[in-house]
Amino acid sequence: MTKKRSPILRIILIFFIVEVVLVFLSGNFSKQLEIGFEHGKFRIRHVETEYDLQEKITEEFQIDEYYKQHGETPEIYGSKKLYNSFKFLSKFGTVPFNPMGTFQLLRMLLIVDIMLLIMALFIRKTLARRPAKSQIIFELIYTSLEEFVSETLGEDKAYYTPYIVTLFLFIWVCNMVGMIPIPGFMEPTRNLNVPLGLGFMVVVVVHFSAIKFKGAWNHLQNYINPVKNPLFLLDIVGEISKIVSISFRLFGNILGGAIIILVVSSLVSFVVFPIGLNLFFGVFVGTIQAFVFTMLALTYIGVEIAE
Amino acid sequence: MAFSIEHIQIAAYLGAGICVGIGAVTTGIGSGIIAGEGAYGIVKQPKANEQIFRTMLIGQAAAQTAGIFALVISMLLIYGRSDAPEGGWFKAAAYLAAGLAMGLGSVGPSLGAGYAGGQACKSVARMPKHGNAIMGNMLIGQALSQTSAIFALVVAFLLMYSVPNQPADISIGRIIVKSVALIAAGLSIGFGTLGPGTGIGYVAGKASDMMGRFPNEKPKIMRTMFLGAAVSESTAIYSLVVAFLLIFAL
Amino acid sequence: MNLTLAQGIVKASALLGAGLCMGMGALGPGIGEGFVAGKACEGIARSPENASLITRTMLVGQAVSESTGIYSLVIALLLIFST
Repeated sequence: MTKKRSPILRIILIFFIVEVVLVFLSGNFSKQLEIGFEHGKFRIRHVETEYDLQEKITEEFQIDEYYKQHGETPEIYGSKKLYNSFKFLSKFGTVPFNPMGTFQLLRMLLIVDIMLLIMALFIRKTLARRPAKSQIIFELIYTSLEEFVSETLGEDKAYYTPYIVTLFLFIWVCNMVGMIPIPGFMEPTRNLNVPLGLGFMVVVVVHFSAIKFKGAWNHLQNYINPVKNPLFLLDIVGEISKIVSISFRLFGNILGGAIIILVVSSLVSFVVFPIGLNLFFGVFVGTIQAFVFTMLALTYIGVEIAE
Repeated sequence: MAFSIEHIQIAAYLGAGICVGIGAVTTGIGSGIIAGEGAYGIVKQPKANEQIFRTMLIGQAAAQTAGIFALVISMLLIYGRSDAPEGGWFKAAAYLAAGLAMGLGSVGPSLGAGYAGGQACKSVARMPKHGNAIMGNMLIGQALSQTSAIFALVVAFLLMYSVPNQPADISIGRIIVKSVALIAAGLSIGFGTLGPGTGIGYVAGKASDMMGRFPNEKPKIMRTMFLGAAVSESTAIYSLVVAFLLIFAL
Repeated sequence: MNLTLAQGIVKASALLGAGLCMGMGALGPGIGEGFVAGKACEGIARSPENASLITRTMLVGQAVSESTGIYSLVIALLLIFST
């Protein structure tokens, strides 16, 4: 256990030191300027300007609403040129909407994908017989998840491991990316569309595996045949509620963390406490929720293909 | 109906009182359970005195998190609100609902965390050698059971800070619908966290207990704890969904 | 959208019913599922070789005891959207 714990502790320590150093490097502690975690992210703001929490919450969590009210996007949400080209694309749709939130979401998803790609290439390049520390961390993640997969599904179905590991790494990086103190960075999982899409895909994979291993007709009988399964109506509702519960669990935790950081940092306007909160919600809650999502997906598959 | 600024004040003070009043009940009960188990454990195992005492204190601190959330919300309701009269009935209902949500929402998690801490103290008294593993498991379990209290806190914050002011020309029917919807959102998440909080606390307590008896099975016990706690939480998530719908979709 | 007083009271009581329905309905399943999971932890600690069987039983039991929570959710959504 000591071997397992030390790299994680080291990661937390590195995050903490980086955040503290960034806070101290990037500002003066004069009375006009105040350094804090606005929007849950690191920013410098004027003390004199009035701080309207209601407007901030609208700006942060309902960007499209903010855009509708003010007619302009907040500056922190990236380049105007990129946004305008994106807006041109949205005219092909029939429903008029302010796609600011969608634009921001796509930008963050792209950043997460690029980060994952760079990570994969870096690890692949530095693979060695005597593993370096980064290799140890990723091998730890892979082997422990592989163990879970072969325990739940059986040794012969260990080929589900890549899907499970991909799910875990993607959600994990998504939850952690909001901790990077650049204005405008947000967790993609804070937008409901991402968890809902992931949850929907999990249910699709579950039913695909069930059909593959039990046959389509056998599987369908669970949902239409009242003799074999007296509670079949309940099971149909249960499948839908599966998607809702698995995706809203992730969404609610990440959104809750962001709202709490925003409100607390506007109340205390002090540096250290929001850093601790950021660490708690980014590292602890983010990791636990990624793990729980992955484990639930795995056990849903396991329950369906068991018989 | 004539509206004056006193209506907002009445709602906010009432909400603050309800919030910390209800929230303090089970915080006290939970801390008491932990202290009782700790004292009994010290009687049974006087050699592990310091370790049991430390587990007891940390467990009590974690069990009081939800009570502290309730205290924060009631402080904000007393000092941190805006008393603009254009807020109207919407603001009054939202303040009352915020108090209800956090007050009721801290009942279950405190009770659950109290049970988990009590079982952990008992377990440390039985197996002082594995005290650190048990304490780590207890903290993770208590954090899991406080997740539903965090949902209640989020809904309370949203009620306090994201409800718009009442528009000037609005029919009395709309006013009643919107205000009652806000209060219903508070009641939904408040009662909805009660069961899951207690249930997850039971899971965490059993896991801590078993970790003291069978320390070799630690990874399997922890995995089952995570999974069971996550599934038990789903009804709290349904309540959160209904509360979001009641706040934003009407 | 303008509502008269009577319409407003009808709609408002439906919404209050929805909130109470989901809130109270989440109480029982939460405690019950927690009990199932706690006992499953105990079972896995006592006989770790049956871990996957116990986990599966736990999930199926929880899914059944969650059904009343799902009924509450359905009723709450009906009350919100269909009145």
